[in-house]
Amino acid sequence: MNTLTISLKNIRKNLSFYALYLFSAAFVITVFFAFLSFSMDDIIVEKISSDGRVESMCRTVSIFLMAFVIFYMTYSNRFFLRRRTEELGIYALLGYRRTSILALLCCENVFLCTGALLLGLFFGSCLHRGIVLAVTALLDLNVDPSGIPFFCPRAAAYTAGFLLVVILLLSASNASVLLRTSLIGLVRCRKKAEKKMKFHRLPAVAGLAMTGAGYLLALDILRGEDSIWITSGFYLTGMITLSLVVCGTVLFISAFLPFLLNRERKDEDRFYTPSRIILIPGFIYRIRSGARTLIMLSLLSAAALTVSSVMALSLYYPVAALSRITPSEIEFRVTEEDEISEARSLVMQYTSDPGETSFLETDIYTVSSGSPGEYLPAEYSLGTTDAASKSSGNLRDPGFKCISVSSHRALLKAQGREKAAEQVPALKDNECILIKYEPNRDGSSEAGRTYSLQVGSEEIAVTVKETSMENSVSFANSVGTLIVSDDLFREIDNSALPCRRILSVNGNGVRDNEQLYSALNHFLEGSPYLQGHSHRQRELLSVNSSTFLLIGFLVVLFFIASGSILYFNNLTAVSDNKNDYRILWKMGYSRKRIRRIIRRQVLVFFAIPFLFGLLDCIFASLVYKNALMQNLLGNSLLLYLPVLLAVLMTGVIYLIYWLITVHACCRAVFTDSGTGRT
Amino acid sequence: MKPVLEARQLSKRYPGGPGPALDSVTFSVDRGEFVGIMGASGSGKTTLLNVLSTIDRPTSGKILISGTDLGTLNDSDGAGFRKDRLGFIFQEYFLLDSLTIRENISVPLALKKIPARKISAAVQRLAERFGIAGQLDKYPAELSGGQRQRASAARAIIKRPDILFADEPTGALDSASSTGLLNVLSEANRELQTTILMVTHDAYAASFADRILIFRDGHIVSELFRTGDRQDFYRDIASETARLDGLRTQPRQHV
Repeated sequence: MNTLTISLKNIRKNLSFYALYLFSAAFVITVFFAFLSFSMDDIIVEKISSDGRVESMCRTVSIFLMAFVIFYMTYSNRFFLRRRTEELGIYALLGYRRTSILALLCCENVFLCTGALLLGLFFGSCLHRGIVLAVTALLDLNVDPSGIPFFCPRAAAYTAGFLLVVILLLSASNASVLLRTSLIGLVRCRKKAEKKMKFHRLPAVAGLAMTGAGYLLALDILRGEDSIWITSGFYLTGMITLSLVVCGTVLFISAFLPFLLNRERKDEDRFYTPSRIILIPGFIYRIRSGARTLIMLSLLSAAALTVSSVMALSLYYPVAALSRITPSEIEFRVTEEDEISEARSLVMQYTSDPGETSFLETDIYTVSSGSPGEYLPAEYSLGTTDAASKSSGNLRDPGFKCISVSSHRALLKAQGREKAAEQVPALKDNECILIKYEPNRDGSSEAGRTYSLQVGSEEIAVTVKETSMENSVSFANSVGTLIVSDDLFREIDNSALPCRRILSVNGNGVRDNEQLYSALNHFLEGSPYLQGHSHRQRELLSVNSSTFLLIGFLVVLFFIASGSILYFNNLTAVSDNKNDYRILWKMGYSRKRIRRIIRRQVLVFFAIPFLFGLLDCIFASLVYKNALMQNLLGNSLLLYLPVLLAVLMTGVIYLIYWLITVHACCRAVFTDSGTGRT
Repeated sequence: MKPVLEARQLSKRYPGGPGPALDSVTFSVDRGEFVGIMGASGSGKTTLLNVLSTIDRPTSGKILISGTDLGTLNDSDGAGFRKDRLGFIFQEYFLLDSLTIRENISVPLALKKIPARKISAAVQRLAERFGIAGQLDKYPAELSGGQRQRASAARAIIKRPDILFADEPTGALDSASSTGLLNVLSEANRELQTTILMVTHDAYAASFADRILIFRDGHIVSELFRTGDRQDFYRDIASETARLDGLRTQPRQHV
């Protein structure tokens, strides 16, 4: 019987054993091929990328994807090799040369990878088609999806070539294992006795301390201006925090957890229970060889969760902040009187229901203050010295931008913010509301402060009744806004102070009306003071979603790989210890209790990467949000919604993998007649 | 004396098997008795041990252990029964590799939710009796075969089972270790009144028992009682097995 026949028979005979490998490899190839098809789809890429950003991201992501695929396939291959060493040892005993055994393994890999490739090409094409349809609909691209071929031959050839390289790498890996293992090692290496674990206090304490210190350092960002992140520099503190968390995670898993559980083991009252007496020593026994895998998965899990959360945050935040950046559907600064009538006629022209549209003209006066500079709010001089504003010629004059309270209420109502309009308090002539650009970092408030306003030759003192984040005018047209009483506003109006008029257009007819926006933009010759809510939203989605999609490929592939690694790892451990479960059953452990023990054993190995990923992701998102993002929406917990969603999705994926793993492990234990099934 | 184990008309057939693995086997074991089961490979010894210990079910017949009919036990009851009433020693020791010897011996008591203080004291006492007190904090892989088997015996005896099943306990041991283990079992039988049912094919090991049941083709073909000292009993067993060997080609006789 030649090698080819043996390998074919082997696969046929052990189809259920190989099915897992085949399907998980097919899954990985599906994602890889779909990604390649997408990145090689010139029609779509051209539409979503104007500056080559997507192309360069595709190249970067494809390197990560290839690294993932190689890593995952090597791991799976090692798993199957380990499961088959006994069988390979028998071949060796029968007189097969190592080269023949290697050829046998190579043939099997070629068969399985070919099967996985065919499945991957088919499902990858379907996935690619789904992604194209989703992207086209999401970004409202002017693309006819039927014009894009279902199957991308260039991507298929690339995938097949890459898989060939993978097979060569796997064969090299198998050869190195076979050449390094003696004959007796082959026959008996399936279950090696683990080395006795040593428990050292110092690395254990260091693991806990470093992880804790890393998280505390991350939390320090909440101290605002006094934070180490600000005083010592973001990148230096970031690097220190990252090093502390990474080293801490390594020591926490490899030293602290076993140390902690060993202490638990010495507490006899807690230890001598039917489950703990099996679970705790079992974990300590496994952690010695499993620590590296757990550390790697924890760090990868943290990286993937953090990347996906930060990406979700980056996409969600600007969209959520649009309610403050462009509160009206359309708003522009009126420089000439005829712009208003022209804008009205454009709205009539491009809107199906012009009667539903509200036009509000608002006068905004710039008023200087005689109060000392350090006493004034940051908004008073915001954008007056900023380098970016200077270079773009948008430098603003310092001062308060005063709006009457009735105009403010009317705008809020027109924008559909009835509740906010109702909450605007009545103002006396010596009172005002200060609209904040973002909350003060130290948590302080200007409420109660009195500012003097230079109105003509007079100095009028106004006290801040309250500060508010509910602005009714975009920041392009008004920063440092003071809402004043109507009487005071009239006084200001009579004082010949610099004034700008804005026109705010709201209503269902102008919402999501890109044609109207383009016409207005054309008419106003690209004025930076033209603000469109729906237009900006569309722009943000278009810019960010391609990035999000590409990162999404990586994250999905990571979860498949990590879930499958955990599956293989646990299944091997449980299968190797089948005899132990048999002994427990004979000693009187019921099947229910054994199942519970298996469930918990597997849970620990799933929970560690997940919890580390979760903690790292929470702290990293906190730092990202507070240090690198504007705080236009205040400290609302709602902002963390995308982080929560990313975590929930990860949790659900891990949960599904955990259930599948437990099911497979229980099946491996209970299908043996020695554990109760007769 | 009231029997601790009664087997009545036990039969076991495996689907597709050439004949019955057990064929109408009837016998009983009294409390505190040390009974040996002998026979060639395929004679039904291990099948008997499996059905008596609730690991397998007979095709027909009845088994009573301390008055409990094993036929009425479901999977969960069976586990509970093994936990409270039965002890096992296996040829391959079957100690849990991840647990120390102390923990291995403690498992049956932890399963019965005995307080930790009592478990520690009982383990220490039994380990001293079995000569493994110095090995309690070691792992099975660090012990010799004989020490491992004594640990296995301690684990089986610590919960004071109604009956202890030993399946070829000396099969993987050298002669000195075998003698050590058999002395330990005899002592436990004498001093702790542990009832033992031991399957063995070794006449020397069997000579430590009070009574021998010899199996062939699924049923008992001979029964021997120890009347004198161990050496005499060993000679009786050896001559009886030799006689039975001579009768292999002849039709079998029920006892």
